[in-house]
Amino acid sequence: MVQMISIKVNGVDRRVQINDNELLLDVIRDKAGVKSVKAGCWRGECGLCTVLLDGKPVKSCLVLAVEADGRDVKTAEGLAPEGQLSKLQKLFVEKGAMQCGFCTPSFVLTAHYLLSVNPNPTETEIKEYLSGHICRCGTYKQIIEAVLECAR
Amino acid sequence: MSFGSAYLTLPDFQYLKPKSLHDALHLLDEHKDEAKVFAGGVGLFAFMKERLVDPRYLVDIKAIDELQTLSDDGSKGLTIGATVTMNQLLEFGPLKERYTALRDCISLLSDPVLRNRSTLLGDVCEALPYVDGPTPLLIFDAEIEAASVRGRRRIPIAEFIRGVAEIALEPNEIAVAVHLKAPPEHSKSVFLKQTSSSEFSIVNVAALCANPSRAEARTVRFAYGAIAPTAARVHDVEQVFRRKAPVSQLIDEAVQVIKKAAEPMTDVLAKAEYRSHILEVLAIKAFRQLIGS
Repeated sequence: MVQMISIKVNGVDRRVQINDNELLLDVIRDKAGVKSVKAGCWRGECGLCTVLLDGKPVKSCLVLAVEADGRDVKTAEGLAPEGQLSKLQKLFVEKGAMQCGFCTPSFVLTAHYLLSVNPNPTETEIKEYLSGHICRCGTYKQIIEAVLECAR
Repeated sequence: MSFGSAYLTLPDFQYLKPKSLHDALHLLDEHKDEAKVFAGGVGLFAFMKERLVDPRYLVDIKAIDELQTLSDDGSKGLTIGATVTMNQLLEFGPLKERYTALRDCISLLSDPVLRNRSTLLGDVCEALPYVDGPTPLLIFDAEIEAASVRGRRRIPIAEFIRGVAEIALEPNEIAVAVHLKAPPEHSKSVFLKQTSSSEFSIVNVAALCANPSRAEARTVRFAYGAIAPTAARVHDVEQVFRRKAPVSQLIDEAVQVIKKAAEPMTDVLAKAEYRSHILEVLAIKAFRQLIGS
């Protein structure tokens, strides 16, 4: 069934036309035009499609777009004002916590959430919390360093 | 299934989001097999992408207040509603204190981000052999509460899962909650599992023990899963531990009883012989943690 839904994406109210079977991932990328949300495995394993839905991280390849009707979606673009970077984002750059960069927005989002609920995570807690994200370049060490540094 | 577009998209369906259980049950009674109920969708959407499940209606039950119940009634037990997420369970104090095996099981499931969506009842209703949830539920004598337009009934977890992806729900029923009986006072419980490289369990065990140092009062429960099509409690173990004998001897005997009861399967994840060996290893480890050696 085709219907209109309202989603707040990074603070901006959007009205988009969707089909019931459309994934939040596709709507965020193709209809809201937010490209930091990546498609990787399409089955909840790689974590690249993570968005903050009403503040909590979810894998948008396993969420229907219609479920986000009337709700707030935040992506890496929404963590700092236009043209700026958040402290955590800056630390990802400083620590070289990326190589190809494909997974970076998702790691930043989930780490951002972790720090908001646990401002002083241990290395073990960071590893556990980011365990649903895959970085095929293998920059986990630098990612963990960036998160630890941000908490300091 | 080729890695084509069908793998990436969901088949067509009509999305329904009833506001009350009454409405949901009537929708289900009307559409029966053509409708699928979902909360987190973590398992269901994966199957739908593979076109293994292709419902005409998808009923989202997350707007139904009653299904968000999460309550601890002390000596009576615990009630977990159908839409309570795994992360909500992990944050729930009584689970950590008294239902450790279930808590440990959940903390090892998938990852923290998926656990914002996945639910315990969703895990149980998936009813695949490698699903972990049923095993700790067996040692807490859990019952699944099912509701339909005709009323409600409770189904013991051991009878709820009938086979691979086969559960005791009628097409017009919704599993609304799982009820756990309070464990004996001062009891402790553990959950252990061995996974394949793909992170699916090939063996899991849950065990509970109260009064470990007094044979006559010692209560031990044991269940396994992922070994055979359905998880199972091994009741015969309970008598073994009531006897007065060195604990190491009782553990040896219990393990023999367990291995005799289990009928390990060979599948794509592991061979029966390997499962049998890992079952022995995990059972010994669980008993040693709870009772000593």
